Amino acid sequence: MRTQNATAYRFLTPYLLIFAVFWIWPIISSFLISFQATRTVPWRFAPAFNWGRLIGDPAFYNALKNTLLILVIQVPVMIALAIVMAVLLNSPLLKARGLYRFAFFAPVVVGEVAYSAVFRLMFSLDFGIVNKLLNSIGLPKVDWFSNVTPAMALIMIAVTWRWAGYNAIIILAGLQSIPEDVYEAATLDRVSKVKQFFHITLPLLKPVIVFCAVLSIIGTMQLFTEPFLITERGGPGGGTETLGLLLYRQGFRSLNFGYASAVAYTMAGLAIAITLVQLWLMREPK
Amino acid sequence: MAAVTLTNVVKRFGNFEVVHGANIDIADGEFVVFVGPSGCGKSTLLRMVAGLEDISGGDIAIGGKVVNDVEPADRGIAMVFQSYALYPHMTVEQNLSFGLRMNGNPRADTERRVKRAAEILRIDELMQRRPKQLSGGQRQRVAIGRAIVREPQVFLFDEPLSNLDAELRVQMRVEISRLHKELGVTMIYVTHDQTEAMTLADRIVVLKAGNVEQIGAPLDLYDDPANRFVAGFIGSPKMNFLSAKVVDTSNSAAIIELVNHGGARLSKPLRDAFPAIGAEIVLGVRPEHFFEAGEGDCDIPIKADVAEHLGSVSYVYANAGPEELIVEREASRQRAGGDHFTVSIKAERSLLFDKSGARIR
Repeated sequence: MRTQNATAYRFLTPYLLIFAVFWIWPIISSFLISFQATRTVPWRFAPAFNWGRLIGDPAFYNALKNTLLILVIQVPVMIALAIVMAVLLNSPLLKARGLYRFAFFAPVVVGEVAYSAVFRLMFSLDFGIVNKLLNSIGLPKVDWFSNVTPAMALIMIAVTWRWAGYNAIIILAGLQSIPEDVYEAATLDRVSKVKQFFHITLPLLKPVIVFCAVLSIIGTMQLFTEPFLITERGGPGGGTETLGLLLYRQGFRSLNFGYASAVAYTMAGLAIAITLVQLWLMREPK
Repeated sequence: MAAVTLTNVVKRFGNFEVVHGANIDIADGEFVVFVGPSGCGKSTLLRMVAGLEDISGGDIAIGGKVVNDVEPADRGIAMVFQSYALYPHMTVEQNLSFGLRMNGNPRADTERRVKRAAEILRIDELMQRRPKQLSGGQRQRVAIGRAIVREPQVFLFDEPLSNLDAELRVQMRVEISRLHKELGVTMIYVTHDQTEAMTLADRIVVLKAGNVEQIGAPLDLYDDPANRFVAGFIGSPKMNFLSAKVVDTSNSAAIIELVNHGGARLSKPLRDAFPAIGAEIVLGVRPEHFFEAGEGDCDIPIKADVAEHLGSVSYVYANAGPEELIVEREASRQRAGGDHFTVSIKAERSLLFDKSGARIR
């Protein structure tokens, strides 16, 4: 190794050590742990113990179903909403653009516990503003926390509120990178604004949209905060329990590290698989 | 095909006026080039003809019809952009046909137009490629092709060759000239490159700071510029300007003294105006209009700083007092930096300008 490189690596050593101890080792270790029975002392190697349980565990399937349901409904809705918000933010007619941009981005920087508490208040059965609004337009109150469907809807609304603006800002950056003269050329070609959006803007935004979708898929696969804090640990009766919550419950409530590791690897594997399918579907034609 | 007429066209951005009442008549089928330095308003003028910029004052007529409030797509124009403005996600064929397809043009007609454009521009083999798989010259051809398929009355070119390398620029220049002959439609072409203007135009419009300085055929502008700006802008290398003073006048000429050249004197015949004795004026001499010592009406000694040998000609850059002169010589290895030699100016191959830059004839 040349002296120059050796010097560089010596400077990198502190970081690489920390990275190895706190990133690489846990990744390897948890993979190994997933093949061990961890509720006996000492732990023993039992490859089928956790993975076998996973295949037959109704709690796992419930969490998987909930996670995928949120993924399939919430992610597309949020991305669509983010695109609309980005287009509106990009409009030359908009005044005080900076203010709106900040407002849309703000939910991401609000503390998770604070935002969850506010959502619980807003959706409270008797005192929440949402039910009051529903009542005021003649609709019945909804018990957001006691029924599975409204509880799932609440999780999706909350996640969308928190992340749509963030995605909109990323998409806005993509929008602003589309050269103006492409639209001018289309205007000279008598292509309407709506057709310009569907035939020029959307296709040119595809890489950015895929990026947002991949980030959102990974985020949703790990979804934890909202079902933990808003619907109180995946309530009602596990109706909003996600894989992230199942992992937490197994790993840190029941201290079943082996099974929690198997769940974690399943989550990661699913996220990678869905992302690959997504990338394949959205690939550039040759 | 259509004529284009600009009458007192004004453009303001807020309170800032960038085009101050332009009057330009472009005949049907004519190739007119708007030329001028950056910020002179040439692109703004073109974009106003296209309808991409609103007009703050005056009228623009295409084919005899005022189009101030007509949508860009309804003006019968097609535009080629500096950056090509191709749709990056579409193939060449889709790029060419996009506008027609979006407007429900019959498929057979769209195919015919695309095929014709591809044949004219010799891009048939590129039809399934995407813009990023094309070279700069090929992209430019596709951009022109997209204009051709519209079958417009007027073509607008906004600095279309400025992103190409020198060799390709020459090649595309010839192509555009050929295209004009083949299609016979009106073309308006914007450039800051006076060589493009000289080689392409039937007529050139020289612009400076939002004003039309002169309109005319390329060689008319070269031989008979209206003012010092046009004289300096048209021609490469540019015209030399020598400070002078009127020392005497007769009824048909002015005797001038070149103040930075040891009091060398020249009798310059004049037709219209006679500047006062003592007036400070400027003598313009093109690099190729310096003659060998004794061949002209006034000899001036100079010292060469640098000599550029281009093969067919050589340019000698010389400092004569505070003035830098560029002298064109026939290809020669004789001249080199540091040489002292004498050149001669002929009165009839020089131009006079007053202090404000206006021509004295």
